[in-house]
Amino acid sequence: MHISDGVLPTQVALTCFALSAGCVAVSLKKTHSEDLPKVAVMTSAFFVASLVHVPLGPTSVHLLLPGLVGIFLGWSSFLAIFLGLVLQCLLFQFGGLTALGANGLMMGLPAWLAAAVFHGFRDASSRTRLLAGAVVSGGGVVVAALILAVLLATGGEDFAGVAKLALAAHVPVVVLEAVITGFVLAFVDRVKPELLGRSPWRSEAR
Amino acid sequence: MKALPLHWDPLAATGLGLAVFLTVLVAVGWFRLRKRGQGSPRREGEETERWAVPELGTHEQARGRSIFHRWDPRIKIASLVFFAFCAASVDQLGVACVCCAISCAALLTAGTPLGFAAKRIAAMAGFLAMFFVVMPLTVPVLPGDEVVQLGEAGWIQLNLRGFSVAALVAAKALSVALLMEPLFRTCTFARTVNALARMGLPESLCHMLLIMYRYVFVFRHEISRLWVGMGVRGFRPGTNRRSFHALGNFLGMLFVRSLERTERVYEAMLCRGYSGRFPVREGFHARPKDWALGACWIALSMGVLILDGWAVPVLFR
Repeated sequence: MHISDGVLPTQVALTCFALSAGCVAVSLKKTHSEDLPKVAVMTSAFFVASLVHVPLGPTSVHLLLPGLVGIFLGWSSFLAIFLGLVLQCLLFQFGGLTALGANGLMMGLPAWLAAAVFHGFRDASSRTRLLAGAVVSGGGVVVAALILAVLLATGGEDFAGVAKLALAAHVPVVVLEAVITGFVLAFVDRVKPELLGRSPWRSEAR
Repeated sequence: MKALPLHWDPLAATGLGLAVFLTVLVAVGWFRLRKRGQGSPRREGEETERWAVPELGTHEQARGRSIFHRWDPRIKIASLVFFAFCAASVDQLGVACVCCAISCAALLTAGTPLGFAAKRIAAMAGFLAMFFVVMPLTVPVLPGDEVVQLGEAGWIQLNLRGFSVAALVAAKALSVALLMEPLFRTCTFARTVNALARMGLPESLCHMLLIMYRYVFVFRHEISRLWVGMGVRGFRPGTNRRSFHALGNFLGMLFVRSLERTERVYEAMLCRGYSGRFPVREGFHARPKDWALGACWIALSMGVLILDGWAVPVLFR
């Protein structure tokens, strides 16, 4: 769920922009400059993957993928997610222009968190890592939903109900995201295990 | 039942009007989805419609002659984004509707195809509809609120103030969304990004945006082909383990291919002399006319804020 324009109080929106800009700067610094075009190409792939709708009973949901981006891209994930959101806003209006900072934090921080947790399992057996990856990406959605609820609640008491509903709406997505990410990771582990390494490209992050 | 306070009527009416409007949008979107999912014999272009990514700022779109097309992109972005922030911080429903009207006027002046604007509104409709449904049920009742009780013994309480809060959010979202068209569809995407670079966005981010914009279309094409292949082999998506497994493999394949592509793309860029910079030929020069137009928009934005903070409470009290 992306926050649209006009929901957040302006000072919250601006603060989120400042925080997001800081995180993007850190992410940019931690990414080798040679890898930037590659991160951009991978980001397009994540962008397209988030357009795919997964059937869920009578309706369908799209994946948020913060956990997977974190696992694949590590420190670069915040940058990738922020630029992905910029493009989603410009092309589709998924998420408002003035809420870009908030949406960036909402998806970017879980990605970093997922990357950190998954990194902790780097020496574990393949099976444990895949399981950890699935749980981590489900957890990423949980964190994203919590941040969303907190941001919505900054709008005042009137927005508390919406914040709770938004939180509840993410429950099926958490399960679905964990399951599908598990399958994605299993596939990637068999076909291209270097994608699950510390950095998918040879030039290591500084 | 006590009479409605005098200033309440138009606000509630606007709120309900917007609610109906958004409901219709959601309904239309749902029917289109249903229609696509079943019936109607398969057409040639069907698979290209799925996951359609609208192009932003093609050369054709940039060829228009409106004032937005001729405006220096740097000043255009700065002043319209300023207006967007002002419109998003408005607190009065009436003023938010004024912002909506201004954005509509800008959209019509720019003369971009209205279908794009409609798609933007449709993209937000679900999120905004949630506000219209949830807000009247959950907004805490303040003194002076009009509460409608439905059902036996009034077990559903609708607080009409919820409608007006939701309408305020929707009006603000609409006014920014409509402004996106004159803002970004009136010159080429590359020119917009160049302008952003000139305005101080780090060059590396701008390059990444350009690369991303290009490869989004490549990967969209790629997943369409994968999807057709899966369909031909008998895959029908459903809510079951097999479908999820297949979808996981599908996305995994996309990521594996894209990782391989990153290397090829980067090598091709190096072959063509990439050294961390993109050569930019086009320059910008701001004429007095551009500055004047920018000043007008800033004045308009300030006017909206002043109206919101001062005039409307005074007029309606």
